[in-house]
Amino acid sequence: MVEAFAVASGKGGTGKTTSTLALGMALADDHDVTVVDADTGMANLLFHAGLAEADPTLHDALVDETADVREATYDRFGMCIVPCGTSLAAFEAADPERLRDVVADLAADADVLLLDSPATLGSKAAVLPVVLADRAIVVLQPTVPALSDGLKVQEYALSYGTEVAGTLFNKVHDRGADAVETADRYFEGPTLAEVPDSDAARAARAAGEPLLAHAPDSEAAAAYRRAANRIDVRGGDGEAVADRFRSAVIPDPP
Amino acid sequence: MNVPEGDLQRSRVVADAAVPLEAALDRRLTGYLALRPADPLAPDDSGGIITVEDGVPVVAYHDGTERGGTAALGPLADSGPYRAELYAAEAADLAAVHEVEELRVAPGSPAEQVADAPDLARRARERAPAARESADDDDAVEAFLADEDRIADIKRRARAEAERRAAEWGLDDAVDAGER
Repeated sequence: MVEAFAVASGKGGTGKTTSTLALGMALADDHDVTVVDADTGMANLLFHAGLAEADPTLHDALVDETADVREATYDRFGMCIVPCGTSLAAFEAADPERLRDVVADLAADADVLLLDSPATLGSKAAVLPVVLADRAIVVLQPTVPALSDGLKVQEYALSYGTEVAGTLFNKVHDRGADAVETADRYFEGPTLAEVPDSDAARAARAAGEPLLAHAPDSEAAAAYRRAANRIDVRGGDGEAVADRFRSAVIPDPP
Repeated sequence: MNVPEGDLQRSRVVADAAVPLEAALDRRLTGYLALRPADPLAPDDSGGIITVEDGVPVVAYHDGTERGGTAALGPLADSGPYRAELYAAEAADLAAVHEVEELRVAPGSPAEQVADAPDLARRARERAPAARESADDDDAVEAFLADEDRIADIKRRARAEAERRAAEWGLDDAVDAGER
């Protein structure tokens, strides 16, 4: 029983990693959650989760096909976390296509897989998490570039048969609230939450802890919990999902 | 849109609107940029104007579509390569046009939306007076979300791009799934 979500935004700096871990912690109250740093070129989840020294990481599983991704899986904050390393050499040696097998392996032991996806649509590797996921959660903030890129991510997801579970608006300030309401018309799925602009997320990042661990009583943490409540996790057949990931037809690049 | 006659500072043919925007920012120009398609056969009214104060964009207008503010930026982005001219003008002479709300753009919007230059946009935002930034950004978001045609166009292009790249990347099966 597993559903895979790509947490995606077209642009960096929208709070995507903070959101992934916050949703993961909130969903972990009722589900077995595994969070994967699928942003293999700009990994930063490890810094948010106190795993800066983690070894091995997802990179190892992407480099060596005999490596078991479960060895790069760490139990933290009530979730399983698969961090990615930051070494450029490892990134270059990694085969992004192996992500399919890694996701398939992880699917066997989880109810919810959250893939922290690259903040770009610039390459096949960057788009792959959105292709592999059942549904995408589009992370936005009320600025023109973030909205514009969020629309692109949404259309990519829909083009590739990935539904949109909803949108998550980060860094919303007083006047930006109107924008959230208007933007809702253009995005599929509900607005899962409006997360206020706050220092709590920055402090959590600096402390190397997910927001819900660092500032559980903050307004932002409450918003993420509401978002998680609005996501109705559909339990798929774990084996069927695993097969689907493995069989996604992705030939070698020319 | 009426802008005061300025003193021509420079005139270049450029592929990228980032070049004149950066030049205006670097020399802290107060005046305006005139961007016209470099193609001599393009219609006279297919260019537009972006005014700057201390190098930071303030208002924008596109002649061909007669659209101002954020709505002018899309058509301007489509007009390159450009004959780009920088003019210096007195701030006092620009004040009248700078007060027209419908023409105003956020400090970073031209760099982001015409030139696709996020670093330049960041520099423009940093240079802008603090009071301008958040209010103008909110106005830019509001104008963006009110422009249904532009949003439909972004979606249409993204779909086409996703499908074209699916073919390049061998993800055709995924696209078929999306069309089911």
